[in-house]
Amino acid sequence: MAATTEQITSFTFGDLLSSRTVIGQTLKELGQDHDNLWVLTPDIGATLVEFRDTYPDRFVDVGLSEQACVGIAAGLAAEGNIPVVSGMLPFLSMRALEQVRSDICYPNLPVKIVGTHGGLVGNGGSTHYAVEDLGLMTSLVNMTVTSIGDPLMVGEVLRQSMDMTGPLYIRLAVGKKDKVVYEPGSVRIEIGKGITAREGGDLTIFAHGETVSQALEAAETLAADHGLDARVVDMFTLKPIDEDLILRCAEETGRFVVVEDHLAYGGLASRISDVLVDRGVRLEGFRRLGIPQVFAGFGEDTELRDKHGYGLTATVDAALAVAGAKGGAS
Amino acid sequence: MSLEYRIPLGDQMPQTITRPARSITDLEDKAYELREKLLLLCGEYDGAVHIGGDLSSADIFTLLFQYGMHVDPQDLRNPERDRFVLSKGHAAVCMYIAMAIRGFFDYDEIVRTYGRLDSAYGMHPCKVQLPGVEVSTGSLGHGLPLATGMALHGRRNGMAHRVFTLMGDGETGEGSVWEAALAARSNDLGNLVAFIDRNRQLMTSFSEERVRLEPYPDKWRAFGWNVIEVDGHDMGALVEAFDSLPDPDSDTPTVVICETVKGKGVDFMERNLAWHAGSLNDKDLQRALASLADGRKAA
Repeated sequence: MAATTEQITSFTFGDLLSSRTVIGQTLKELGQDHDNLWVLTPDIGATLVEFRDTYPDRFVDVGLSEQACVGIAAGLAAEGNIPVVSGMLPFLSMRALEQVRSDICYPNLPVKIVGTHGGLVGNGGSTHYAVEDLGLMTSLVNMTVTSIGDPLMVGEVLRQSMDMTGPLYIRLAVGKKDKVVYEPGSVRIEIGKGITAREGGDLTIFAHGETVSQALEAAETLAADHGLDARVVDMFTLKPIDEDLILRCAEETGRFVVVEDHLAYGGLASRISDVLVDRGVRLEGFRRLGIPQVFAGFGEDTELRDKHGYGLTATVDAALAVAGAKGGAS
Repeated sequence: MSLEYRIPLGDQMPQTITRPARSITDLEDKAYELREKLLLLCGEYDGAVHIGGDLSSADIFTLLFQYGMHVDPQDLRNPERDRFVLSKGHAAVCMYIAMAIRGFFDYDEIVRTYGRLDSAYGMHPCKVQLPGVEVSTGSLGHGLPLATGMALHGRRNGMAHRVFTLMGDGETGEGSVWEAALAARSNDLGNLVAFIDRNRQLMTSFSEERVRLEPYPDKWRAFGWNVIEVDGHDMGALVEAFDSLPDPDSDTPTVVICETVKGKGVDFMERNLAWHAGSLNDKDLQRALASLADGRKAA
C-alpha cells in the first residue's frame, strides 16, 4: 500500500498520475502476498514490466489474441489462481465478450479484467473507444463492474478484489495521466458503495471514472456563479449498484444529473433509472448526459465531450435546468 | 528474457492415481457398452440428443476414461489427476456415460434425469452443477484456450499431470482455437494434448465440401504442434497413439487427429447429415441396437 501512496508528497486536486503505473506497482506488491496471482495481457503490457520481471512464471503475454487470453485466464482460475487480464477495453469487452460470459461468469471465477480506453479517450476513433462496455458488462450474471477515475483508487480496488470469489471488471480512461480526486486516506473506498465526493443539498450529480472530476468542477462553478449547492457522487461501482445511496440522494436532493463517458443509455443513468422506477421514486428533475447514438469521431477527450453534449458546460447547464424545476430560476 | 521457472519432472509421473489395466478387447467392450447406453438414453429422452458426434467420439472417450487418463472417481480434486476439457460440449452425454462407466456417476440417474428440470446432466456440461466436470463448455472453440490455461498452471508449478481436451473438427473453424494453438506452442506446453474427432461433418454439411480443412494435419504442424494421426475407431491404434504421447514435461503440445465416422456403429446414422442430433422412437431404437450388435459380430 505504501508503495503507491508514498508517491504523493503533497496533494492537490487534479494532480496527474498514471493509473497504469499504479496498477503495475500494485500488482507487483500483491504478487508477493498472493503466490497464485497471475497477470495476462494481449500485447498491452508496457506498464506490467515490474510484475513480469519479478514474477516471470506468473506473467503471460499471448500477443494479439484476446479470446485466448480470457480463456486461458479462466483455465488458470479453474486451477485456483487469481488471474488479472490487462488490456484495452474495447477489445476485451467485445471481441472476448463470450469468453468473459461463458468461461468466467458462468462458472463464477475470480478473474479481474482491467483495461483502458473506457469512453471517448485516446483519440483512436470509434474502434478504440469502449462506449458500450458498461452496458455489456453490467448485464452479465456474477460480474462486478467498476469504473475508476482516481489512479490511487485503482490500486485500492485491486487490493480489495483479492478476496472476491467472482469476476471483476475495472474500467479506466487512458490511464496515462489521470486526475487524483481524493486525498489519500480521505474517503472510504468499498466495492459496491458509492462515494460522496462533495456534499450538497440542491441536487446530486452522479458520475463515474473521469467524469467525477468534471462533476466536481461543475459543482464549484454552480456554487460560485449560481449559488447552487450540488452534491457529487462517485458511483464507481455500477454493479452491484448502491441503491441505498441513490434513494437517500433522491430523498435529500430530489434532483439528479448523471454524467458519464459512455452511451447515455445502457450505463450509469440507466442503472439509476432502474432503481428509481423499481422503487417507485419520482424525482423533481432528472437529466442524463452521455454519448448519443453516434460513432463519435476524432478529437481530444474534452473536445469530444463538449461536441457530444456531456462536457463541463453541459453539466453546469443540466444542473441549472433541473434546479430550475425547483425554484423556477433557470 | 529467459524464464528459469521450470522444475525438472524427472520420474515424478503421477503415482497416487493408478490407471486400470485393460486389454484391447476389454476396451472394445467398454466402447460397445458406451454406445449401447447412449442409444438407450436416446430412446428414453424425448428431446434431441447429439447422437452423431457422440457415436463418432465414443472410442476416444473410452480410450481416455477407461485407459489413458489418471483420474479417480473417489477423489475429484486430487491435484495429480489428469484434467479433461470437453471442448465439443454437445457430446456431454457421451462424457457423462463414459464417466459413469468409470464410476464417477450413476448411469440410471443420468437416464432418469437427463435434460430435465434441475438435473445436473444437461445438453452441455456445467461444472457448477456437476462436480467432476472440470470446466463448463458448450460454445465451440472455448476448450483449447481453457485447457491451455490449465496446462500453463501445471507446467509453471512443476506438476506432472496432463491436460486433455476433445474438439470436433468442425469447431476448429473457430479463430479462438488457433489463438490458443499459438499460445500453447509459445509457452512450450507439452503437457497439453488435444484429441480431435475428425468426423468430417458439420451440423449441416460435410466439412471438405463447404469448409476445406485439408491439409489438416499440416495446419497443426505449421503451428508447431506434434501431430499424431490415428483411426479413431481402432482401439488398438488409439492405445498405441496414447502410449506414444511425449512425456508431460516435453515442450511440444500434441494433437491426436482421430479419423472417425459420424454416427459410427449404427448403419442408418453413419455419415448421415440427418443424424447430427435426433431422438429414437421404439422401432428406431431396436433397429439401432440391432445394427450395433451386427457390427460387433462382423468385427
